[in-house]
Parts: sequence; C-alpha cells; structure tokens
Amino acid sequence: MKRISTLIAGAAFATAGLGIATPASAATICFAFQDLETEFWVAGHTAITRTLEEAGHTVIERNANEDANRQLEQVRDCIAQGVDGIIIIPQDGESAVTIVNEAQDNDVPIAVFNRPPSDLSKGIVVVADNASIASQAVDFLAKEAIASRDGDGKLTPMIIVGDLGDPNAVGRKDGFYAALENYPDDFNTPIEVASDWDAATALANLEAAVTANPDIDLLFTSSDFLFPTIRSVFEPRGMWAKRGEEGHVVMGGLDGDATACQLLKDGYIDSTGVQDLYFEAEAALSAILAAIEAGEAQPNEVIEDPGFALTSANLAEREMDMWGCVLLSEGFLDQ
Amino acid sequence: MNGSARDRATAVLARHGTLLLFLLIIFVFGTQVPAFIGPENLGNIIKQASFIGIAAVGMVFVLLTAGIDLSVGSVMYLGPLIAGFAMRDYGVGVAGGLVVAVAAGAVMGSINAFLIVVLKVVPFIVTLSTLFFFRGFGAYLTSSRQFDFPEEIRTFGLSSVLGVPTPILFFAVVALGAHVVLSRTAFGRQVYAIGNDEAAAAKAGIRVGRVKAGVYVTCSSLAALAGFVLIAQIGRLDTGFGEGREFDVIAAAVLGGASLFGGVGTAFSAVIGATMIQAVKIGLVFTGINLYLQPMLQGLIIFAAVFLDSLRASRLEMLRRRFIRPR
Repeated sequence: MKRISTLIAGAAFATAGLGIATPASAATICFAFQDLETEFWVAGHTAITRTLEEAGHTVIERNANEDANRQLEQVRDCIAQGVDGIIIIPQDGESAVTIVNEAQDNDVPIAVFNRPPSDLSKGIVVVADNASIASQAVDFLAKEAIASRDGDGKLTPMIIVGDLGDPNAVGRKDGFYAALENYPDDFNTPIEVASDWDAATALANLEAAVTANPDIDLLFTSSDFLFPTIRSVFEPRGMWAKRGEEGHVVMGGLDGDATACQLLKDGYIDSTGVQDLYFEAEAALSAILAAIEAGEAQPNEVIEDPGFALTSANLAEREMDMWGCVLLSEGFLDQ
Repeated sequence: MNGSARDRATAVLARHGTLLLFLLIIFVFGTQVPAFIGPENLGNIIKQASFIGIAAVGMVFVLLTAGIDLSVGSVMYLGPLIAGFAMRDYGVGVAGGLVVAVAAGAVMGSINAFLIVVLKVVPFIVTLSTLFFFRGFGAYLTSSRQFDFPEEIRTFGLSSVLGVPTPILFFAVVALGAHVVLSRTAFGRQVYAIGNDEAAAAKAGIRVGRVKAGVYVTCSSLAALAGFVLIAQIGRLDTGFGEGREFDVIAAAVLGGASLFGGVGTAFSAVIGATMIQAVKIGLVFTGINLYLQPMLQGLIIFAAVFLDSLRASRLEMLRRRFIRPR
C-alpha cells in the first residue's frame, strides 16, 4: 500500500504541481497497455490510471498480454465504445504505428507512452531519449573504468542488450556505443550479450560471455531488472564486489528501479540511467486532455523525456529524483 | 568397402546421427574458439540446458501420447512463485520449497488432465487456456511485481556436489528417472502404446485416461521443478519468467528425436535436444556473432538438425526393409 500511496502522491504532484490540463467535463479515456511485467510499467500504469480517476475521468483499461494484434483489437473496441481519447503502451514500434493510424482515422486523439512508434510523425508520443540516457550513464562508467585502470592496456566493455525488436533496447544500445566512441583509445570492441528481456536467457548468455571473456572491465545492462541475474554469474567468480574492493567491475544499467537504487547505495553498481516516470505520465495526460478540450482529433506532438544518470558521484543530491529511490524509501523491496 | 559393410556403416551413422550432429556442432564452435570446448564451458552448457531439459523430459511423456502441453512456460513461473510464498511467508526451507513447487506443478497438471481426460477437450486448447490462466493467476498474486526469494535459495542454486553444479544433478536424476519409468515400467510401456494406437491400447485393457492424466501431471511437475532450479540461481522471479519457453521445451524434445505424432522418443531425446540447442546458443555467444544474426542462425541450425534427423530416420527405415533378392 505504501508503494501505491507513493505513486498516488507522485501522480497527484504531477497533476497539481505541473498543471495538467483538465477538460471541463469528465472524459472517457481508453488506456491500453502491453503488459505489466516490470516495476517501471506497473508504476507508470498506476500513475496514469490514478491521476485520471482522481481528476474524475473514466478509465477503460485493456491489457494486451504482450500481443500486438490483441492490442489493436482492444483499441478498435475502445473506439467503438466512443472513448474521448486513447493512451497506449504499445508492444512494439511497428504495431504502434498501426494503432495510432487506426485511432486517427476514427478521429480519436491518441498518446503513446514511453515505447515510441517507428514513425514519430503521428499521435502524441511521449518518449524517453533512451540513447541520451544510456549515453549519460555509460559516460560515467567509462570515466570510472579509465580512472581505475591498471597499466596502459585497453579496457574490455560488455553490454547486455535487450530485445532488439524494442526501440527502447535499440536506443540504449546506441547510447552505449555513442558514449564509448568518445574514448577510442581506451576501449576494445564491446562484447554484446543478448537478453531478449528475459532473465533465463541473460543468465545463460552472460555466463557464456564471461567464461569466454573473464577480464571484463565495464558492464552495462540495458535494464536494471537484470542485476540479480548479473549477480548470480559474477558472485561465484569474485566479480560481485563493492566500489574500492578487489574484483569490482565498473557497472551500470538503465531504468532507475528500486533495486538499482539499493545497489548504487551499497556500492555494487556505479550508475544507472533514469527515465523520469512522473514527467512522462504527466506529459502524456496533459497532452491528451488538452487535445480533447480543444476538440483536436489528430494531435501530433513528440514530447521527450531527457532523463538523467544517477551516479555514485551525484547520488546524495539527486537520489529522490529517481522513481526507484522514491519507492525504495517507502520500503518497496521489503514488502 | 563392399555393399554390406557400407550398409552397416550407414546404419551406425544413421542410428547415432543426432549424437554425431551434436558432436559436430561442438567441434565447429571449438575450432573457432578453443575455450568453447573447455571443461568450464561444457559444464556451463549442460547447466544452462538443465532448465529447458528438465521440462523437456516431462514434455516427452506428453508427446509420446500424441498430446501437447503449451502451459509449461506458465507452470515454470507459477510453481516456483507458490513455493516462494511458502518460503517467505511460512518459513518453509529450500527443500520444502522445492517440494511445494513440484506439488504446485502437479496440481496444475491435474487441472490440465481433468479438462483433457474428463471433459474431453483437446490438449492444445486446454493447455493454451491454462497458459494464460496460470500466468494471470501469478500476476494477480504478485500484482505484477517481481518476487524476491529468501537468500538461502541462491546458496542452494549456486551449490555443487563433488564439483557438479546442483542444476546438472537435478537434470541427471530427472533424465535417468524418466528413462527408467519409460523403459522399465508398465506405465512407460502403456505411454508408448497409447501414442502408437490409442484405440488399440484401450482395447488391450490399458486405462487410457489414467495414463494420460499421469503424463500431464508429470509434465507440469517437471516444468515447475525446472523453474525452481533456475530461479534458485537468480533469487528473483519476474512476471515474464518462462514466457514463450513452451516452444523451447517442445523444440528440445523434438530435436532430440521425439515425434509430435506420438509413440516415438525417449527421455534422452530431451537431454540431447536441450543440450544441443544450448550448445548452439552459447557457441554463437562465444564466436561473437552479430546479435541480429543469432536468432536466424539458431533457427537455421535447428532446422538443419531436424532435417538431417528426418533423413536419418528415412535411411534407417530403408535399411530395415527386407529384400527378397540380394542387391
């Protein structure tokens, strides 16, 4: 309950403090999401639904269970019910384009939350700049790795890549490479490990990759949810150590979840890229409600969440800007 | 080499074709990266194959009766989850948790069995439905949150006995146990009989419904055990855990030689299939193949393996024919 109250508080803060446009009459919003499999999606879902309900709007929720075709049918069903607007968390970038076109063809304003369509020109698209956020987090890791280097040899970086059908995963991979390109003389060609956003796949592939390349100097995981998996591979090899301890691998991730916050505080990881969840939820709601109020049927706008990197260096100042640290402070991991 | 010697050599190659193909895969990746055939990596391949392999052994039971179980991925998730609640909220130890997971799997298998045997709904539809039901129930129990197991489960998952990792031990015990059941017991013979001709098996007095129920309970129990063995290594269960794994499990069983049409396959089919798939995946990691190419190469290699296996089967069939006149 504490977690929910935190999210409500965050959402309420977004509504009141950041000035969400609310139409004069209550609107009916269809909220179609692909699934709720990580802390981030659960937190985003809660922030959106609670905020809409608190403002007196009716929310029709549809869970596609990771099926893009089902999500399209659900959106069609919402349109047939005469909803005033649609917010979707799509399964992938391609299906998002189809769904946005479907909504706009039927004159229903639509906003896409966090997972961008492959065509950004249509619909309200609220998206984290994954490449930029990853780049900020990895840049800090690169500097840390270079600073702790023994000798003059090149360092070996490794990246755990997400599902390459997910634009967020591709953006994070691009950001990783972009950051390392700034240090061409310091790093070998990165080792890529596929995860498909699946812990079992990541476990098998990471174990193989570390067996083949035991001397890793830097590890970046495209999602924080894989840290327990990384631990199970690193710990038996003496590579799961705190900053300053023998065997510490400079390590970071992206998402900004509660586990990452705890590990950053404990010193096991060095940075994590953070998506500003509350900003994203607020931006999606404001834009869709403003479009409904203005009678605009095909609003097109890209709203970018620049995010930031929470690091061992700025932890003290920026801790509570990260949604995972807010959850952690409410005892999320103890529940 | 005369014709008879050539036939004998062909017969040997055909009988052991799957194993030879497996060795060929190991050899090819080993020549690319010598560390691939190092003892540490070979151990890793078997350890990582144990997750899919244990479940695939259970799937072989179902496939032998010409059935299918699409719910194994969800059982892999829900079984360990229920065990996790027992461990966290009721202080059950790791061994008790393992028993709870397997028992939960057995209950889920019983649900499948009831719907298939008593209500006579086709297995594909039943297990497709329970795939969603079991996962949905797990998501309801956790509110879609990840579930953290007590710390001692990782001690268990990362432990070893005489240098052999625990997951490999479980894999070996399950495979040997299944082999004994299928090849040395009346139940095993009845499973094959039903897969070969269900009507004839019924006429012969085999209680088809009871045997079928047994294979679905076995399959789900082993799927839950597989999930528990893997989660014991990580210590955290995410809502997406096991999703889509039913296809890996079926592929492993079929790749090892089990037939989707029933009556053909052994427990070792699953062992070879799961280990071969894992060897290919890990080989692609070792050789540093582009991540976009890896799924395509996996698909091609698995297709080639199944295709060669079918050629092998037809060749064996031809060699078994009796000729009136000498060729």
